[in-house]
Amino acid sequence: MAKQANPIRIRKLNKDIPKISKDLCDAMLKDLEKGERPVLEAIKCSLDNSIYNPKVGYLTPGEKVVRTELNVSSVQKMARTVFMLEVLLGNLESGAVNTKRELYYMAKGLVKSNQVLRPLDFGDQPESDAVIDFICDMLEVYREEMNCFANDRGGQTYSKQLVVTETLSDGTTANVDLSTLGTTPFQPKNKPQQFKLKAKKKIDFCLVIESEGTANTLVSNGFTQRNNCILVGAQGVPSNGVRGWCKTIQDQLKIPIYFYGDLDAYTLQNIFRTLKAGSAASLIRNSDFSAPDVKFLGVLPEDVKKYDLDCYDVSERDTSEARALKKAKDALENDPFFKDKKNKRLADILRWLVKEKIRCEQQAVFSVNPKDPLMPEKIILEKIKRGAYV
Amino acid sequence: MSKITTSSTAEYFAKNLQQVGFSSPVKAVLTTLKESVDNSLDACEEGKILPELSVSVRKVGTGGSRSTDLVEIVVEDNGPGIETEDLSKVFGEYLASSKFGRGQCSRGQQGIGISAATTWAQLTNASGVKVISKTSRMKKAVRATVDVDIKANKGVLKNKETFDWDRPHGTRVEFRIDGRVQLNGDGGLITYLDGTTLVNPHLHLRYKLLDADWSDVPRVTEEVPQVPPPTLPHPHTMKLGEFMTHAALYGRITLEKFLRKGFSRVTDQTLKELVKNGLPKTHLSKSLTQISEQDYKKIFQAIQNTEMSSPSTRSVLTVGEEGLSKSIQRLGEVDFFSVVTRRPRICDFKPVVVEVAIARFINRASDSQESPVQLLRFANRVPLQFDKAACAITKAVESVNWRSYGLNQPKNSLPLGPYVFAVSVTSPFIKFKNASKETIDASDELVEEIRRSLMQAGQKLSRHIRREDKAADLERKLQHIEKFAPILVEGLARIVKAPESRKQRAQEGLKRLLGRDAEAVEEELQTAESRLAELKAKQGELIGEAEEAAPEEVVASTKKAASGTQKKAGTKKVSAAKKAAATKKMAGTKKATAASGTRKKA
Repeated sequence: MAKQANPIRIRKLNKDIPKISKDLCDAMLKDLEKGERPVLEAIKCSLDNSIYNPKVGYLTPGEKVVRTELNVSSVQKMARTVFMLEVLLGNLESGAVNTKRELYYMAKGLVKSNQVLRPLDFGDQPESDAVIDFICDMLEVYREEMNCFANDRGGQTYSKQLVVTETLSDGTTANVDLSTLGTTPFQPKNKPQQFKLKAKKKIDFCLVIESEGTANTLVSNGFTQRNNCILVGAQGVPSNGVRGWCKTIQDQLKIPIYFYGDLDAYTLQNIFRTLKAGSAASLIRNSDFSAPDVKFLGVLPEDVKKYDLDCYDVSERDTSEARALKKAKDALENDPFFKDKKNKRLADILRWLVKEKIRCEQQAVFSVNPKDPLMPEKIILEKIKRGAYV
Repeated sequence: MSKITTSSTAEYFAKNLQQVGFSSPVKAVLTTLKESVDNSLDACEEGKILPELSVSVRKVGTGGSRSTDLVEIVVEDNGPGIETEDLSKVFGEYLASSKFGRGQCSRGQQGIGISAATTWAQLTNASGVKVISKTSRMKKAVRATVDVDIKANKGVLKNKETFDWDRPHGTRVEFRIDGRVQLNGDGGLITYLDGTTLVNPHLHLRYKLLDADWSDVPRVTEEVPQVPPPTLPHPHTMKLGEFMTHAALYGRITLEKFLRKGFSRVTDQTLKELVKNGLPKTHLSKSLTQISEQDYKKIFQAIQNTEMSSPSTRSVLTVGEEGLSKSIQRLGEVDFFSVVTRRPRICDFKPVVVEVAIARFINRASDSQESPVQLLRFANRVPLQFDKAACAITKAVESVNWRSYGLNQPKNSLPLGPYVFAVSVTSPFIKFKNASKETIDASDELVEEIRRSLMQAGQKLSRHIRREDKAADLERKLQHIEKFAPILVEGLARIVKAPESRKQRAQEGLKRLLGRDAEAVEEELQTAESRLAELKAKQGELIGEAEEAAPEEVVASTKKAASGTQKKAGTKKVSAAKKAAATKKMAGTKKATAASGTRKKA
């Protein structure tokens, strides 16, 4: 396969991945020749190694590392790491691009055709995914920079003003004018950072809605016709694609971004926090996969009172809800994002949720005036106008 | 008003046989066999005779009741025999016993069981028990049928005849009852006979069950257990009513004499303390007949408020670690066992001794690791086979954290694995939950004592499990080295395009590194092995195998105990051989890798 003329770039990377990989392997081999134990080190991607600096705006890694020293117990992991690294380096060399699942099957195929490699066989995809993540954390590179792309979901985007220009791998470009798509969304998928964005007319704001269904309802009711805006459906916990897309909109268009979703601990911690400041599991990539300027538009506790929104009781007998509550309590104590005074108001909302043990869904605004289909839009616009966001 | 009538004890039991172990056809066969064997063993022990028992159970037709067979149970012993005039009492009268409440560790206690078996035979097959008996005083043996006169609670002797029997003394009983034969499982006859064999090392048993051939289980000790003499009750073990009934047995003696003669642990000092605690001194010299009910209450209260030394533990009988160790070998080829005989203790003011044997049999080792261990329970050397859940022994087993000894255990349940746990509780005053003696009452003190014994046995067991774990760990690690080391070096060499010489050096370096890890595990294995060997050596001594042609491992471990260096050298040899094999395998793999590498290149 011919090497791509213009490989996909997410960021300006000053690393020569094949070279640092070879250097690493060479050092391991040298250690072995000397009868010494090679050690692999990777950034520890966990909450206890996360730092939140309000000026930076996203979670960054601390100094903790995961050390894997060669011994009888770790020899399997090391052998698998070197094996998968070889596969990935092969892809980089040839320009081939794969998803994690495809890489899992490729590894299985290689093992099947070579008797000696049989012990390396992955039992299930999570085993090979863990090895790929370890390689990326070790080299401090993004998975995408190893030509491994996720099958990202979410990010369906609607706008009458936005034009997206994509530079393809052969060097040609494609222009997508979102106004020409009608109610069909544009989806950035897994490489949003390489898009060039242009506004045909001044865009006032970007609204990210947790539920893709509700985003679609707003568009169908003419939200994007009446407002100069970008509307994005997040489809639950934001994928890398959605996170990178919001970051691209924030950086290139410099417009306010609002998030609208459920009022519950899960949304606040797992969806909004990840969109705004990234996650502990992706410490090395948060800089390009978070949009620190995004604001929490709702549903806010004050909206519940103001619009008399229907709430549900959170039952601690329900295991998933009990787990979410426990996680919320933990977050208030241990999550540097919620502990920082810059996010005090968000932490207050979390505390309120833990205390009140209720949740309010984003669709509750449809109860305010069921006969007026534009009511949700009116409430959202009114809140933006009033500055009723956190 | 309807007329009030009284019924005889026999009438009561005839209507309530389910209370004494005849609640189902399966239980009926087992209970009949059990009662016969218990009586034989008790009689032999009393006569200081080494028991020779012959047991046969067979189907001889269809039972009278639905879905039952007519089952013949024959038990023959070489005991002292029963005098002709006693036959009707022993087999046909309820509560006619020489053992009732006398405070001895005998199997039978109340004199109900064998009469109940006779009643069952009579009710289901219209004929009682056929007995042959000969004592050494009798010139000829007597053969008769004993029935129960249910209305009068009396035994009736029928068809009596004498004949020449080719043995000096003994008893043979033959029951024909409606029942069903179950051989295996908790309520099975084989389980019962195995259990009886285990706790009676001095028993020579021959048995034939259904169509199987005769089995012969020789005895492993020539010593008849010395059943300690009866012990007097401890004053703290009685209730007021019992206390007064007990007094009535002593007639016109003074209270002081009664307290001294009728109880254990009553001394001069105790009497002084009693007076201090509210017993009017004048009462001591009063005759028992002169003491009023009110006074009895005062005396009883004073006794309860007075501290006394615990009862003597001399009245309890143990099987002993040696006996258990030898006996356990009779149940099958043992892969591992540990036995614990605790010192007698006082639980609830009664002397108790707990013994535990844990074993894994080679033929059972393939059983699922996921099924619960087989628990054999014994009370006064009688297997308990029903109503497991409520028993003190089961509760104690479940309360131990077996995970810390290396066994899997679901919460509050029996541990899992192919092991047999045998727990024996012996006491002259054992407290059962029911008349059929299937469950030991679970008092906190007793459960705690059993639990401690189990934990002691568990510690021994853990040595065995730890050694197995270490061996598996070493095996896994050696396999790991073999499998992954060449792949790792090959992969690294391919990425950096290293020449063959570097690859060779790295291979050797890696082998050295991982070899060191394997050595560390090997050392751990050696430690575990030597600890187990010490244990096995001790056990070998118990079963007298050290001097005989014992299994290789036990001999090796005994030798090791004698000379540590010798064993060490042996183990080293083994480990060196193991390593050589691993290296050889590695070299083989390396060649294969190289070959495949070349193929790939080509």
